[in-house]
Amino acid sequence: MGDIVFKGINKSFGNTKVIEDLNLTIKDGEFTVLVGASGCGKTTLLRMIAGIGPATSGELLINGENITDIPPGKRDIAMVFQNYAIYPTMSVRGNIEFGLKNNKVPKKERNRLIAEISEIVGLTPYLDRKPSALSGGQRQRVALARAMVKKPSVFLMDEPLSNLDAKLRVAMRSELIELHNQLKTTFVYVTHDQVEAMSMADTIILMDHGKIQQHASPEIIYNDPNNIFTAQFIGTPPMNIIPLNEGIKLGFRPEKIKLSREITNSKFQRKCHLITREMLGSETLYKAILENETIMIKSLEAEFRMGEDVYISIEDTDLYFFAADGNRIRKGDVPDYNKLLKMVGGSWNEE
Amino acid sequence: MKNKGVGKKKSKRNMNLLTPYVMVTPAMCFLIIFTLYPMINLIYLSFFTFKLARPDLKTWVGLLNYKFLLFVKEDFVIALKNTAVYTVAVVFFLILFAVLFAMWLEKDTKLNSFAQRAIFTPHLVAMISCGMIWSWIMDEKGLFNAVLSFFQLPGLRWLNSSATAMISIVIVSVWKSLGYYTLIVISALKSIPTEIFEAAELDNTNGFRKFFKITIPMLSPQLFFLLIVITINSFKVFDTVRTMTGGGPGNSTNVISYYIYHYVFNNNQMGIATSAGVVLMGILMIMTIFYFKAVGKKVYYQ
Amino acid sequence: MAMNLIKTKKRIMRAIPAFLNSIIKLAVVLFILFPFYWMIITSFKPYAETILMPPTFWPKTFTLSAYTSIFNEMNLGIYLKNSIIITLAIIALQIPIMVPAAYAFAKYKFPGHKLMFGIVLVAFMIPGQVTFIPVYFLMARLGILNTLLPQILPFGANAFGIFLLRQNFMQIPDEIIEAARLDNASELKIMFRLMLPMSKATMITLAMFSFISHWNSYFWPLVMTQSEKVRPLTIAIEKLKDVELGISWNILMAGNVLLVFPIIIIFMFASKKIVRAFAYKGMK
Repeated sequence: MGDIVFKGINKSFGNTKVIEDLNLTIKDGEFTVLVGASGCGKTTLLRMIAGIGPATSGELLINGENITDIPPGKRDIAMVFQNYAIYPTMSVRGNIEFGLKNNKVPKKERNRLIAEISEIVGLTPYLDRKPSALSGGQRQRVALARAMVKKPSVFLMDEPLSNLDAKLRVAMRSELIELHNQLKTTFVYVTHDQVEAMSMADTIILMDHGKIQQHASPEIIYNDPNNIFTAQFIGTPPMNIIPLNEGIKLGFRPEKIKLSREITNSKFQRKCHLITREMLGSETLYKAILENETIMIKSLEAEFRMGEDVYISIEDTDLYFFAADGNRIRKGDVPDYNKLLKMVGGSWNEE
Repeated sequence: MKNKGVGKKKSKRNMNLLTPYVMVTPAMCFLIIFTLYPMINLIYLSFFTFKLARPDLKTWVGLLNYKFLLFVKEDFVIALKNTAVYTVAVVFFLILFAVLFAMWLEKDTKLNSFAQRAIFTPHLVAMISCGMIWSWIMDEKGLFNAVLSFFQLPGLRWLNSSATAMISIVIVSVWKSLGYYTLIVISALKSIPTEIFEAAELDNTNGFRKFFKITIPMLSPQLFFLLIVITINSFKVFDTVRTMTGGGPGNSTNVISYYIYHYVFNNNQMGIATSAGVVLMGILMIMTIFYFKAVGKKVYYQ
Repeated sequence: MAMNLIKTKKRIMRAIPAFLNSIIKLAVVLFILFPFYWMIITSFKPYAETILMPPTFWPKTFTLSAYTSIFNEMNLGIYLKNSIIITLAIIALQIPIMVPAAYAFAKYKFPGHKLMFGIVLVAFMIPGQVTFIPVYFLMARLGILNTLLPQILPFGANAFGIFLLRQNFMQIPDEIIEAARLDNASELKIMFRLMLPMSKATMITLAMFSFISHWNSYFWPLVMTQSEKVRPLTIAIEKLKDVELGISWNILMAGNVLLVFPIIIIFMFASKKIVRAFAYKGMK
């Protein structure tokens, strides 16, 4: 169907400007996740694509065509709402059928489509039930079926799994990924859950206060964050950030830390004092004090105990430098990257 | 000491069990004395004839009052018919206009907020005052005819013609209550989640289908409530009839409540009045049962 | 540049229907309010002007003669006093009677509650036109016909009001009450110290509706009273119409203005609360 392009988009609610001069391209056919905290603007963008919350100014193009004046029902887009928004007064069948009827699909064809869709989502025995007689998971499937039956070019989903219990959520997650693989249509998925974002997305768009913090694949966002916000949003526990000097900050992920009781040959090595220990099963989470800063360590080694002094070491490539404004300093950004490494590098034995 | 503690607990529990009864009893007493008892007493009295001033001098006549009322006299049947016409008209127009106005005035704007309050104000005015004001407006020398003559149209006789008198009464009732019911529908409209309408937009739903397939079904509990309340209130219409038409001209606006009043205070025929009251009671009960059985099923409860 | 012109033109084209809509809305609203306006200006006209054809939409002669007539010829004082006493007494009676009952229906499942609530429902349906004859005889037997009591007592419990209060109480979460019980509070204390303050808005609305409904009441006072000494304002105003010579519309309208005056005052102070209170009223 073509890429979705936001050009110079502004959005204000009353006198409050929430999005300013935003430019974004969502690639056709991909599973794109808009992720961020509540109020960051992700749902606002989603609603713009749907046509139910238009931008204050700017252009929105799909496949090169400006769709601003096209009503939501004619954009060939389907949406699954966070609270499902299924019609409470109609049966499951009625809900799925409603859009088809509006589009004047003949009865035979409608029945065929409904039978097909309800098989896929597993709703066939419930077709004549009203939403009030369905469980949360079943209602979610109705919302999904209603969207799918229209065979749209774009699927929009606004935190569709957030009202489900944990087990169901995990199951639905993989079902949605499979669905995307089958249909190969554009999926735009909004969530505040970074785990969902990382596990489901082809491309992640991380937002904060109406601004895009980073727009990249999960691997890149994890390995190569643009700024402190991104670095700390992805990953549980978040990346440790400690101040160096001259405003520069150092970052490293808890899972990239190696622990040992003795000094090793690694370049970056420090001594720290463990203050808590959480045994999670396959991994162990330690909280430690490093030169007056508190850091988290995620290790496969469970043998260390609270109160111990241990040595931590991290590879060069797992060290991240951030400027005072929060932006990332990459190798190509400064003439002498090694100077930064020297600031932290070398192993020293004295305390 | 131990026993005292247990005793105290027991009596507190008994106190707690009694509490709801204590709370409900005064209201129940009032309702029984002033509603249930009169209902039964009225049925009892309807088997007698007597005069207002001497209820102790009553004569047993059995079902004779009813025979007279329904088969011999013509005016009661006319009153029944009038009441039916009035009720149907008021229910229909009130619900229709309440829904339309509610949709028109729903959005949160200053104009709408003013409009909502403005159309509510007739509710604050005594029905008797409304009757007097509209008598004046609908007088043959009054405002309506003045406006008509301005457009060079002939004046109508409004309250003085049996053809138009009923319409006039209906107009006053609708005018008075419109704002009140509109506000009820507006709050019902506001309770419908906007997402439902957004989903409908994505489903390419046009205005009509949105209204009939979504709005109305979701409003159905409140509309049902309105139906019952407006019907019951319609049977009570009295003030306007008394002050605008006196039941006429020629019985055309004689409604049951006015009929009963007339036979008590003007004709002093208590047997007729009480039996008419019993018939009114019966109609109200049948209507309510009918509403619940026939219409109640279609109401969607959330 | 040209794009901007087209955009502005589009915006104007889109705004026109909205503008027309507003104009029509305003016109309809003014049309509905017109009878009030008519009532008020008529009350300030001299009689001769009221019967002018074509009628005047603003008093040619502004006069208070209608009002002075009323004050001089009618004994307004008694009627006014009666209206006030009756209305306030009803409200004072209703609160201790209806509030506990509604609370009990909302929060307790005691044996017999279905039957009792059924009685409330039945009472809801039965109008004064059915009950007035037996109640009249009851009052006569009790010998209180010449007092204000027949206009007060029957309204001690009002079915609609019990519905409203019950609805409101049901919305207060049970957990708060259970927490209070665990704190060893007596049921009465719970009701007075906990529920009442939380239901202030609904109770004020109830009091207001009761006030309006009984201040404006005509049928019941008409059938329950014969002596002018106990009759309220509504009866007195209606009497203005019983004139042998032509009706003095200006005097009639002046009477109605006086009748509606206190209500308007209350409404102006409380209109926001009333409209907001309707948020509860969707009966489910």
